[in-house]
Amino acid sequence: MTRILVVDDEAQIRTALARALDARGYEVDAAADGQDALDQAAVHPPDLVVLDLNMPVMGGLEVTRRLRTWTTVPILVLSVRDEEPDKIAALDLGADDYLTKPFGVGELLARVRALLRRIDASTEKAPPVFRLGTVEIDMEAHRVSKDGADVHLTKTEWALLDSFVGASGKLLTHRWLLEHVWGDGYGDDVEVLRVFVSQLRRKIEPDPQRPQAIVTEPGVGYRWSLRPRERT
Amino acid sequence: MSVTRVVGLLREPARPRRRTAGYVIAIAGPALLVLVLRPFRENLQTLTIGFAFLIVVVAAAAVGRLGPGILASFLGFIVFNFFFLPPYDSFVIARAEHVVALFVFLGLSVLISALLARAVERADAAESREAELRTLQELSRDLVIQGPGEETYRALLEHLVQSFAFEAGALLLQTEGAGLVEKISVGAPPGTLSASWNPADPGRPPERLPLSVGNRNLGLIVLSGPRPPLSASESRVLRAVCDQLALVLERDRLLRTATDAEIFRQTDSVRRNMLAAVSHDLRSPLAVIKASVTDLMDPEVDRTDAERGEVLHTIDAETDRLDALVANLLDMSRMEAGVLEARPESVDLGELATSEIDSACARWPAIRLDAEIDVEHSMVEADPVFLARVLSNLLDNAAKAAIRTGRLGVEVRVGRHGDGVAVRVIDHGDGLDPVAREQLFYPFYRLEERTSKLGSGLGLAIARGFVDMMGGELWVEDTPGGGATFAFSLPAAEVR
Repeated sequence: MTRILVVDDEAQIRTALARALDARGYEVDAAADGQDALDQAAVHPPDLVVLDLNMPVMGGLEVTRRLRTWTTVPILVLSVRDEEPDKIAALDLGADDYLTKPFGVGELLARVRALLRRIDASTEKAPPVFRLGTVEIDMEAHRVSKDGADVHLTKTEWALLDSFVGASGKLLTHRWLLEHVWGDGYGDDVEVLRVFVSQLRRKIEPDPQRPQAIVTEPGVGYRWSLRPRERT
Repeated sequence: MSVTRVVGLLREPARPRRRTAGYVIAIAGPALLVLVLRPFRENLQTLTIGFAFLIVVVAAAAVGRLGPGILASFLGFIVFNFFFLPPYDSFVIARAEHVVALFVFLGLSVLISALLARAVERADAAESREAELRTLQELSRDLVIQGPGEETYRALLEHLVQSFAFEAGALLLQTEGAGLVEKISVGAPPGTLSASWNPADPGRPPERLPLSVGNRNLGLIVLSGPRPPLSASESRVLRAVCDQLALVLERDRLLRTATDAEIFRQTDSVRRNMLAAVSHDLRSPLAVIKASVTDLMDPEVDRTDAERGEVLHTIDAETDRLDALVANLLDMSRMEAGVLEARPESVDLGELATSEIDSACARWPAIRLDAEIDVEHSMVEADPVFLARVLSNLLDNAAKAAIRTGRLGVEVRVGRHGDGVAVRVIDHGDGLDPVAREQLFYPFYRLEERTSKLGSGLGLAIARGFVDMMGGELWVEDTPGGGATFAFSLPAAEVR
């Protein structure tokens, strides 16, 4: 059974989320503050953490930082609209995605499923294959084709694509991508990233104006939202 | 006794009068000596007589300076020769020895006159410098001790007018837009000492002393009165005072600018905090409502009626919470805009408290609420709507403290308090530390950046605002044994 740890200092939100998740067959633990969350995560390691950013004493940022010292469990951060910097900081610290309050249960469940799927996918051995319209991406064969013809990707474009696919479903911040692909010290060159993402989109998206594979999260980063296909 | 001191004693009258006195001494002195000494001239030594004339020279020079001194010397020289050197009553001198004595006398007395006159002049200068410094020091002390402000400027201006024998003075300050504006006037009705002087006016033009720091012109001091033009030393003192005043004015201006900036910064940060807090406090119930509603809307989940009822109950409670918050926010902004007005009437506080306690019991089913009401003393002069809001806010605050700590008892006591009636809402929660107590009623100040939640601060601030408007007082005490007691008093209703 999939275990989800819900962390929020507001009892009403904890209760509402626990009830909704419980009704969909998840096993739910609830924690009212940061320390409690860390303790519970250590005793009953969860498969996913739903974490409120704005909590007294130990906020969600600190909880993320401490969790990441020993676990890669997906963390879904809950925030309100004006906590933009905190949200990005949490993602930079290793949180996987965020939801802005208030949100519908449907949206929450979709994010939860996407994050859990990533865990499943990463345990599979073979690198995935993606198909989007007439574009086919085979990560194992290191090949991208469009309308049957090979498309050439530069080294950097491959590295970028690899980063996206490796963190499927996860929201990747500009900083994370820049440091992952270009290296330390490039963290602030958002323009560079933007240029390469649009180049990559032109090669792999059937309609680069309406990207389906690399989705923009305005002001935060990008997310790979393509599900891999079964190998034939 | 130093020379200056002696000279100081001699040199009492004002300068022109002193000069005249010197000449009188220079003329009358030798005449007097002739009258007094002539009968004994044959018995007196030439030297003794010479010394007597020297005394006259010294006196004349000390009182009247160089002119009278020299006059006394020459008169002495002539009179000495004529009356006291044989052959008497003629300018002929019989003995060569006496010729020498006479010229020694003349030389000596001219020399003494010159030296003495210089010493006295120096002492005068020293004294007038000392007076200058004293005036300056007194004026600057006014500025320093009294600190900036209109009172100080007025005192300084009065001091200036007085010490320099003017009749009236005015301080004009450079303002943005309006140019020079008269700020303070002394000795004349405001506005009469205008900055511009009409040459057709009788009398001398007023003294106009600019106040400036660097090349920044701050204003003007205008002094007028029937007195001779300022001497160099007076000008110097006035200039120094004006410079000091200009510095003080500039400092005031900078201080004000700094304060304005500080106020602006604080207002700005309060506004930011408030926005963050409001957004958080509004979104929390909204988040619960949205999550619960979308949960119910999902057709794929089967629920029992009991489960559905539970979700609906949550939605209902959160809607109330939202409503209460919106009511508080509205009250707060109305209160700050000053559009709220208390309409006091006779209210039975006991009755109103009972009904508020009942509805608080419905809002907080977990809380145990006890009331103790002195029905003999429960009629107050209050606005019933405000009073109800005060009570419900205090009850909510106590209920939250109780739930936070799990010590669920809350007591309400209504009873006499001085001439009025007091209500105490007593919880047994964690109580308040001194810092929290200070900041309690300033909901937006107490927020920390990280946990921007209004919590109960808004409700308490509103409660205090309402109580104030009804002419009462709200305060907080420690509950014996732990917890906080919020109390307020209201004036008792007049017995009709």
